[in-house]
Amino acid sequence: MDLEGLKEKFYQLVAPSLPNEWDVEDALSPLVESDSACLEEIFAQVPAIWPVSHALCFAYLSAAGPALCHLALDELSLWVHTLLDRYETGGLAGAQLFMADVDQQFARQLRGQGCLRLTDVRSRLQPYVNGLAGRELPLLAAAEAATDSQAIFLPGEIGVFVEHEENFLLYKLMASFQWASLAAGMFAAPRFLKLHRKSAHPLDCFFSEFQPPDSARRLFHLLETGRMLSFLRRELPGLMRAATPLLPRLPLSGDGASALNVLDWMQRGLLRDQWPAENHSALVDQATALLRQYSGQSIDNSASLEAVRELMPLLSPEEHLAGTNPLIFQGVFRLQEMRNLGMKQQADKEVRMMQAYAASLPAVRGKIDVDPQSGNDGGRGYDAALIMEPEHAWEQLPPFMQSQSQQIDISEMAAPALNPPQEHGSTRMIEQTVSATGGKAGCAAARGPHAGGRKGEGMAEHVVYDEWDYRRKGFRKKWCVVNEKEVQPVQNAFVEQTLKQYRGQIRRLRHQFELLQTGERFVRRQRDGVDIDFDGLVESLADSVAGQPPSDRLFIRLARDHRDIAAVFLVDMSNSTSGWVGQSIKEALVLICEAMEMLDDRYAIYGFSGMRRLRCEVFPVKRMDEPYSQTVRQRISAIGPREYTRMALAIRHMTSLFARVEAKVRLLIVLSDGKPEDYDDYKGDYAIEDTRHALLEAKARGIHPFCITIDRQAHAYMAHMYGEVSYIFIDQIRKLPARMSEIYRALTS
Amino acid sequence: MRIDEFRIEEEPYYLAIGDELAIAEAAYHDGSPLLLKGPTGCGKTRFMQYLAWRLQRPLVTVSCHDDLSTSDLVGRYLISAGEAVWTDGPLTLAVRAGAICYLDEIVEARKDTTVVIHPLADDRRQLPIEKRGELLTAPPEFMLAVSYNPGYQSVLKDLKASTRQRFVVLSFDYPSADKEVAIVCREGHLEPELAKSLVKLAGMTRGLKDSGLAEGASTRLLIQAGKLIGRSIPIKTACRAAISEALTDDRELLAALDEMVSSLF
Repeated sequence: MDLEGLKEKFYQLVAPSLPNEWDVEDALSPLVESDSACLEEIFAQVPAIWPVSHALCFAYLSAAGPALCHLALDELSLWVHTLLDRYETGGLAGAQLFMADVDQQFARQLRGQGCLRLTDVRSRLQPYVNGLAGRELPLLAAAEAATDSQAIFLPGEIGVFVEHEENFLLYKLMASFQWASLAAGMFAAPRFLKLHRKSAHPLDCFFSEFQPPDSARRLFHLLETGRMLSFLRRELPGLMRAATPLLPRLPLSGDGASALNVLDWMQRGLLRDQWPAENHSALVDQATALLRQYSGQSIDNSASLEAVRELMPLLSPEEHLAGTNPLIFQGVFRLQEMRNLGMKQQADKEVRMMQAYAASLPAVRGKIDVDPQSGNDGGRGYDAALIMEPEHAWEQLPPFMQSQSQQIDISEMAAPALNPPQEHGSTRMIEQTVSATGGKAGCAAARGPHAGGRKGEGMAEHVVYDEWDYRRKGFRKKWCVVNEKEVQPVQNAFVEQTLKQYRGQIRRLRHQFELLQTGERFVRRQRDGVDIDFDGLVESLADSVAGQPPSDRLFIRLARDHRDIAAVFLVDMSNSTSGWVGQSIKEALVLICEAMEMLDDRYAIYGFSGMRRLRCEVFPVKRMDEPYSQTVRQRISAIGPREYTRMALAIRHMTSLFARVEAKVRLLIVLSDGKPEDYDDYKGDYAIEDTRHALLEAKARGIHPFCITIDRQAHAYMAHMYGEVSYIFIDQIRKLPARMSEIYRALTS
Repeated sequence: MRIDEFRIEEEPYYLAIGDELAIAEAAYHDGSPLLLKGPTGCGKTRFMQYLAWRLQRPLVTVSCHDDLSTSDLVGRYLISAGEAVWTDGPLTLAVRAGAICYLDEIVEARKDTTVVIHPLADDRRQLPIEKRGELLTAPPEFMLAVSYNPGYQSVLKDLKASTRQRFVVLSFDYPSADKEVAIVCREGHLEPELAKSLVKLAGMTRGLKDSGLAEGASTRLLIQAGKLIGRSIPIKTACRAAISEALTDDRELLAALDEMVSSLF
């Protein structure tokens, strides 16, 4: 196909957009030579990419031709699927990096080969590591494997081996090794230290006794690696049996080097069982002998520390060990971070102890106050000094407390974190993801969730959700942000007027709902039960005497019907609900609330509106555990038309709220006046398919969605979104208040 | 039901974890009721069997459920040959015979049902049978014991303070590693090394509370896995069938449990 033909096809696909002609020509010119089947497949992906990013779409068109050299035609859509994921996590630069190397980044992955990313294995490895450690030990991405006692750091991706399975095993070995270094006491403080700095890790103090300290550290780490491998062989024999064939295949920095230093020899010995010939050099001989001698036997790090003392004098001053990289699973030390964490925990512990001690001091204070030798001014008690001057105060603590606060026990660092470091928390994650999902501009976070807030409406929390894109048959990851906003209660006569206007109907509804209320009732003529049903018995005896077969249903049973229902009413607060529509919806809410008071069913009312994907708003009118109070009535009065209808997002938010509610029946009733629609491209099939998917997700979590709509066009799309029987169309808006309560009654009885 | 059917003839295997036996025997002699709490499969029921055997009393066990009525415990009238005949429920049977009545998972029963045990569980030691207008006083040999698992019941199913505060409480937990190895060896007919690895696996699963596992593998599950292994089922298959699949349906957690199994064996 010539360039003009390609351009025409492209413009048809992206209509009504009219991108610059020269951009289009640049992007399409490499495709002129492609055959028609390839072109068709390449163009078929454009509708999925164009709405996400125009720049990405042009980059894709330029890269698609070369990509097809590595991929089969039917693999292109999967490649685009991954490309979009990469774009959403790494921006355009990340996507370009992905497109630049199709074979390494995608084709080999597809065939179960190549690099394995930590994000792909975390779901499997994280519980594994938690299980090993008996506590939460987060797996975080870093350049090299390490641990700081509160987390395990692993490389973001591993591509040492060709097969995924082997790379996974290496990940597992790395994680297990780092756990072992904590469990087997690699970081325990040496017993005798010449130098001691409180701010430094005791091991760092130990290494600084030698010159250069880095060599001592490297020797120690490798000697301990030998011990850790033995520890793992004992503790996790299955893992080590599987990993043993891999170890000799791990690349070593000594491979290809002209001369090997002591670390290279030790690494070769450990992984490949290639020990140096005797009389190599005093250092190498001694080091390898110690490695072989101690690694299998010692239970703590003291032998390795002694070995370092023995070996360091043998190391010539000009020999540097920095050229030897640590083994990939061994990683690096993070001693200073570990020390800082330990000190923070220690400080927290001391403060807590002092507070606890201070609280129990009144008796001591009385004694000290009357002591003329005490040096205290009498007005300020012992306990006050304890709190005000903690640096002196600890000396006044009883001896057992002194020893507690003075002790530098590294093993405690491995104890469960009382206050997990904040940086692992969700706040930072959300901030990051918001800016990542901001696409190429990256400034979305700044303008997104905070923009447009109305005065008087408190911001509660931001939650990020995926959005379903039917064109790519996948989620746009972390695409939308929901803000839960408080509705400012409004004092007016609306509720009173409604109650007055519908008083007859309300009385009837309350009566009907009261009938729904179930409790205990006696069921007669049962085969077994708590008591004899004398009517049944008399009848049965009479039948028997008359020669009829007697009934065996002779008992009364106490039947207990328990309504365990939780319902959420999700109200569309889009602009189109202004006027009568909004008025009727509010009246319907008042009526249902009045009627619901007769039941024990838990229920919540939420409104939703918003504009664009980063400012979707959900308004709690009545939370599940909140009573129907005057404030709730005032919030109902405050419901008013706002912006657009990105309904799927509100449904997803309700689904996540429902996850915290324990109930046998969970009902989501959506009140809407039209199709889902937003200011951006969120409309038509895209919006309907996204909403349908959100409803499927809700159903999968055991929630029954039901929609009450007043849209005359509803039949065209409602059945597709909700299913044939899960929606109802109300043709006269004035009937809504009465119908809604009836619908609820019918749905739950 | 004949009370002799509830006698335990053979000594059940039970390895004492602490001083639970001494406390239970003291409570028996004092006429105090027992409350056993602890996670599932940690040996509560086995302890009761052992205690009953030691005290040479029949053990009447009732597994409580949310439809259990007072009549199910105390008794009811049944029709037989045109006559209404009173039939004792398990609790009445145990009181009359001076047996041990063990109400397993008491919180599963409705709260109004459990109130019937109140006069029996304090110093009155009486069981009123309203339908017969009878007031039974329990003989000194009678003992009431109830159990519950504080781990998985919802807040709705907590034990009422008025019920709870009548009992001598024994708190059970999984045994220490060496004792658990001994139990798994004996009950699962396993070599100590294999039992040790199974216990290590259980320890790992018990650390997964924050990762979405409600409860870790119980000693009972380990014994079941051990029995499967004893019947020549490969270790990993046995662990999958008896432990992993019994603990969770979550695919990711199952995969993580598989990783633990493959690391240990």
